[in-house]
Amino acid sequence: MTQPSDDAPDNGRFRRTLIRVISVQIVTLLLLGLLQYRYSR
Amino acid sequence: MRAMHPLNWVVVIAWLAYVAIDGLRRARGTKHIEGYFLANRNLPWWAVGLSVMATQLSAVTMIGTTGQGAVDGMRFVQFYFGLPLAMVILGVTIVPFLHGAKVFTAYEFLERRFDAKTRSLTAFLFLLSRGMSCGTILAAPAVVFSAIFGWPIGWCVLLMGVPTVLYTMIGGVQAVTWADVKQMVLIVVAITAMVTVLLVRIPVSPSDALHLAGATGRLRVFDFTFSLKNTYTFWSGLIGGTFLMLSYFGTDQSQVQRYLTARSVDEARSSLLISAYWKIPLQAMVLLIGVLVFVFYQFETPPMLYNPVQERKVREAQPAALATLQSRFDTAVAARLAAARAVSTARKAGDDAATSATAEFRVRDSAATAVRTEALALVEKTTGQQSKDVNYIIPRFVVEQLPIGLAGLFIAGVMAAAMSAIAAELNSLATATVIDFYRRWFRKEASDAHFLTVSKGATAFWGLFAMVVASYAATLGSLIEVVNRFGSFFYGSILGVFILAMIPRARATGAFVGLIVGMLTVAAVNFGAPQVAFLWHNVVGAVTVVVVGMLVSGGRATTPAAASAVQ
Repeated sequence: MTQPSDDAPDNGRFRRTLIRVISVQIVTLLLLGLLQYRYSR
Repeated sequence: MRAMHPLNWVVVIAWLAYVAIDGLRRARGTKHIEGYFLANRNLPWWAVGLSVMATQLSAVTMIGTTGQGAVDGMRFVQFYFGLPLAMVILGVTIVPFLHGAKVFTAYEFLERRFDAKTRSLTAFLFLLSRGMSCGTILAAPAVVFSAIFGWPIGWCVLLMGVPTVLYTMIGGVQAVTWADVKQMVLIVVAITAMVTVLLVRIPVSPSDALHLAGATGRLRVFDFTFSLKNTYTFWSGLIGGTFLMLSYFGTDQSQVQRYLTARSVDEARSSLLISAYWKIPLQAMVLLIGVLVFVFYQFETPPMLYNPVQERKVREAQPAALATLQSRFDTAVAARLAAARAVSTARKAGDDAATSATAEFRVRDSAATAVRTEALALVEKTTGQQSKDVNYIIPRFVVEQLPIGLAGLFIAGVMAAAMSAIAAELNSLATATVIDFYRRWFRKEASDAHFLTVSKGATAFWGLFAMVVASYAATLGSLIEVVNRFGSFFYGSILGVFILAMIPRARATGAFVGLIVGMLTVAAVNFGAPQVAFLWHNVVGAVTVVVVGMLVSGGRATTPAAASAVQ
């Protein structure tokens, strides 16, 4: 399958995106966890 | 029950008219099927991304999930824990494959890689499951609006169905996407306004409100137990959820078609990342609405039964039993209200006072909940139907408690959610019908004008089909799980075929046999071990297809065609 050259796999970019998405999720989950910890004891 | 103020209806009708008319205006640029189905692959990433979100977010989310928040709390959010990871994985695997292949449908790609029968079977499964789910998605709000406003279900179906079918049929994917953008903005505004109004209307501080919700376990988000039987745990959400989201966003034409309209692979990836970032916070907000409505009703007298139709039936058939329960409920609610106020006062006094007041509140809440459970059992015994009361909590709150204008905004938001989900599905059902069946098997060569006419006819057909199914779907089970369960029955297996498509050694026969064995295995697990939660079906299906597919493909050399399709 032909793909445009600017769409060639770029491991560095993927790694950066993955790190960004996971970081945002960790912050979201920490906030939800804090909500549970603070009010569900 | 209080009727809705006419001004709220003005808001609803104005919104429906605006979306429909603007959608019809988008018909320009759709003279060819590339424009009609793929917007000439020229839509900006942010519009595609909002369309992806609007397609996934149906009225079930606005009505059922918020209600679930009120009854069960926040733990449902775990269902989405696999989504961000799935989006990133798709961005580097399936998205470049499909976008680069310049296909109309995901299934078209499977014929290039494998053969026509694998393409036709997967496209057929899509038409079967999505065709039905389209009806369910339309039925969900129609059933609730019918009960709340006292209209026939058929009218509610037409109110949402007709404008949606019209703009989807005439404007194609352009109309669908730009309508989705507007619908998504309205949904976010409605959700934010609801949370704000609730925080203002609850007569205690937000901290006290959250304390009351937490005392009843409604803020318990995480469940780390590893159990195949429990649908909403951290692990089923993360593992099963990842497989479900990979299947839904990677192989379901209703989503694939969204990002095929993006300008480039990079823009397609970026559109999916909007969901990766925002889906979990948005779902948390949706559930928080339910949790806050629960707290709101600690300080106001709530209805014992929220579904007015079922309440009327029970009142007619068992008036004495209902009156006794109502009296017990009123007493329990009054005691709970006093206990809730005492918690708020005690929290100002100190930790010890707060602890004992909270314990008293828990006891009072359990007592009120127990009476409501008895009332729901009476409903089921009297009507012979599942109560489904949870789906009526939020609509009743909206109609009876929200200020003028805002109730209309929320009802319009529910309709927007239903319409945006259905529009994308109708559009993709028409695409698969025309591209994977009509053009593939019946009429390979014809003018663009011919295919365009057939495509509009196919959209109208599926719209009609959805409205007929919706009108007769009043007796379907829990609004949330029906849709998810039906989809996940085939999803994992179809994902397995797409994974095979990316493995150079996999061959056509292996993919087809793997798909059949995968589906049979999921059916066997579903009927043989019904206690296994449905999220795990996706994992079972995908893994079985890949393992069986590779075994059948054996160690034989890859065909040149397969190798070039993968590279």
